[in-house]
Amino acid sequence: MKIQHMLATVLTVAMFAPLQAGQGPEKTELKLKLPKPMFIGTPTNLKSANLEVVTGKSRGPFMVPVGTKLLSEKKAVKSSDMQPVIGEMEMITDGEKEGGDGYFVEIAPGKQWVQVDLGASASLHAILAWHYHSQARVYRDVIVQVSDDKDFLKGVTTIFNNDHDNTSGLGIGKDKEYIEVAEGRLFDPKGLKGRYVRCYSNGNTSNDLNHYVEIEVYGTPLK
Amino acid sequence: MTKGGFATLVGVALVLAIGLRVIDLDRRPMHHDEANQAVKFGVLLETGRYQYDRTDHHGPTLYYLTLPVAWIRGQTTLASLDAWTVRIVPALFGVGLLLLFLSLASRLGRTAVASAMLLAALSPALVYYSRFYIQESIFACLAIACLMALGRYAERPTLARALTAGVCAGLAYATKETSVIVVSAAVVAVAVARRWSGPTGHRLASRMMDPRTWPPIRHLAAAAAAALAVAGLFFTAFLSYPDGLLDSIRAFSVFFDRGTGASAYSQPWDYYLRLLGWSSSGGAVWTEAAVLALALVGMGSALGPAGGFWPRAIAIYTAITAIVFSAVSYKTPWNLLPFYAGAVLLAGIGAQAIAAHPWGQTRWGQIPRRPMTQKAWALTPSAGKRWALPPWLVGAVLVAACAHLGWQSWRAIDRYAADPRNPYAYAHTSPDVLRLVQRVTDLAAIDADHDRMLVRVVAGPYEQWPLPWYLRRMERVGYWPRAADAGPFEGTPVIVASQENVGALEAALGDKYISEMYGLRPEVFLTVFIERGLWERFLAAHR
Repeated sequence: MKIQHMLATVLTVAMFAPLQAGQGPEKTELKLKLPKPMFIGTPTNLKSANLEVVTGKSRGPFMVPVGTKLLSEKKAVKSSDMQPVIGEMEMITDGEKEGGDGYFVEIAPGKQWVQVDLGASASLHAILAWHYHSQARVYRDVIVQVSDDKDFLKGVTTIFNNDHDNTSGLGIGKDKEYIEVAEGRLFDPKGLKGRYVRCYSNGNTSNDLNHYVEIEVYGTPLK
Repeated sequence: MTKGGFATLVGVALVLAIGLRVIDLDRRPMHHDEANQAVKFGVLLETGRYQYDRTDHHGPTLYYLTLPVAWIRGQTTLASLDAWTVRIVPALFGVGLLLLFLSLASRLGRTAVASAMLLAALSPALVYYSRFYIQESIFACLAIACLMALGRYAERPTLARALTAGVCAGLAYATKETSVIVVSAAVVAVAVARRWSGPTGHRLASRMMDPRTWPPIRHLAAAAAAALAVAGLFFTAFLSYPDGLLDSIRAFSVFFDRGTGASAYSQPWDYYLRLLGWSSSGGAVWTEAAVLALALVGMGSALGPAGGFWPRAIAIYTAITAIVFSAVSYKTPWNLLPFYAGAVLLAGIGAQAIAAHPWGQTRWGQIPRRPMTQKAWALTPSAGKRWALPPWLVGAVLVAACAHLGWQSWRAIDRYAADPRNPYAYAHTSPDVLRLVQRVTDLAAIDADHDRMLVRVVAGPYEQWPLPWYLRRMERVGYWPRAADAGPFEGTPVIVASQENVGALEAALGDKYISEMYGLRPEVFLTVFIERGLWERFLAAHR
């Protein structure tokens, strides 16, 4: 019985060893430098079937391949509104994620986008966005896309879309809306390759303007 | 200032005032107070009935003054009304305030009046609330009209002028309960200013107590009768609701309690000063400090030895009303209008004092009452030793201040019209509500019942408004504060709920509905439940 058990264990390990090796590189926790929360306690009484459940807790660790690094720092940012009334486009990739005044860019009302140019195509493992986290609010029609085409005309992959009624005309999204919080919203590109990351939004529940404190793109450069 | 220059500046001020008060009047979402007033007006429009509510809503002039506009535009029902019809009324009174200033040109001087008109035309506070369907713009205009009518009476006491003052006071009373503050302040200001400028050799207090300087009894009686008659007509809904006038007196206990008791509206004494002086939020900075600084100069000039009757009356009125409104614990930003209108007029006097002051050789006490012409100046004994600020420099500073105010006003009515960072947008409806309304409208368009589609709103009164305004064209909209009272929900295509009712509704509705969340005001949300079949049809139509 004991020998049988040992044999079964050895067989099991032998069977799954190649599969484990094929799962990709070794993973490690993504370390993030998070800003201070700007409002005390997430409003957990907010409920809607189209809203991510508000737990008021941290999202927990997110695993990425070893060697993943921040690719977006100080990288060029383009927008559908290149003349923001408040802030500068460079602030979106400057590493400053605080929620107070002087840390965010305010761009025009309605459907707008900002786009980060990573400089070269890379395997992307995490994209984080902070729109505006000093007040509990929901940004409308958040869509995150990745492409190697700077005009997003070809080879576009959508990794997140909560435009559930196709207001933006980019297709109906199945993802849910979410409340902005200090830890930002993490989108998982699952190793997708691309040079440009484009984020859409369409106003928010407090006003019809669009804001960005920071966008961070983590990945591994292509060899 | 030449007549031609004055006429040009007055024209520019009026064009700017009209433009900023009228352009895109219907663009900003309705504030819940506006919506509430507009629906109340709709009842008057449809039924011809009005009943004064002594616990809320203030006086009836707002509604009665809106009637002619609705008639002219051919709107006879609440459903046919639009935001432009109701908002044009305060906008017209906002422009009317400038015309009142204009009528003081011969008394204050052209520079003072032209400056005050430009500042009033461009002041973000005056512009913003002139586009707001509440009583404040009308009230500020009537408060200044009352001050001016009393001042004219003091200049030459006639029965006609006493009656005019009484009518103005009556209209102010029929507009807002706080008229007791502004009318009393105007009476005190005119009385003190009149005697201050009286024969020398007697102390002000003794002149005030001298019965020979008091108005004749018949004038006082005529003014009081005129005020009572005008207020009585409005509060009794033109004699159809006799209790209205008495209710307006009973209302003082309500408003006294509200004004002095602790509430969510309680603010420190310097609330208005900070609001106007410097407001910074979310990267947007607002200031009307230029007006305040000029008003301080105007105050100094008016209360100085050469101040004169009108500057002193305006200064005293402004000081009293500013102090009293600041002392009242209940504060909302639009309550600053009655005293700020006086401050803007005072700022014009300040601008004139700066322009006319012979800098370097004289003290403030020697400020001439009116700007000296170059010829008059040259004839003064020490003309060669004096120097003044060049007119172009004074003009350039004033233009810069006006440009800054104008830019802020534009931001206040355009991009930040409903933004919580705009200090004048107080607990304002979020533009997200317009999406909610559009959603309900779109759903009604594909529902079999169209405008008769049943909509249940399950939310407390604070979270219902401004929906009754926006859903006024739908015939079957019901309002309940709690989910337990609102059912059964079978056959209801659309349900709008406040967050406290969402849990109960989710339990009652199961998976037969999809839901969406909308911002009503900053950090106040509504959830819309849409019957799944209707939603699928909507999506199919929008694919």
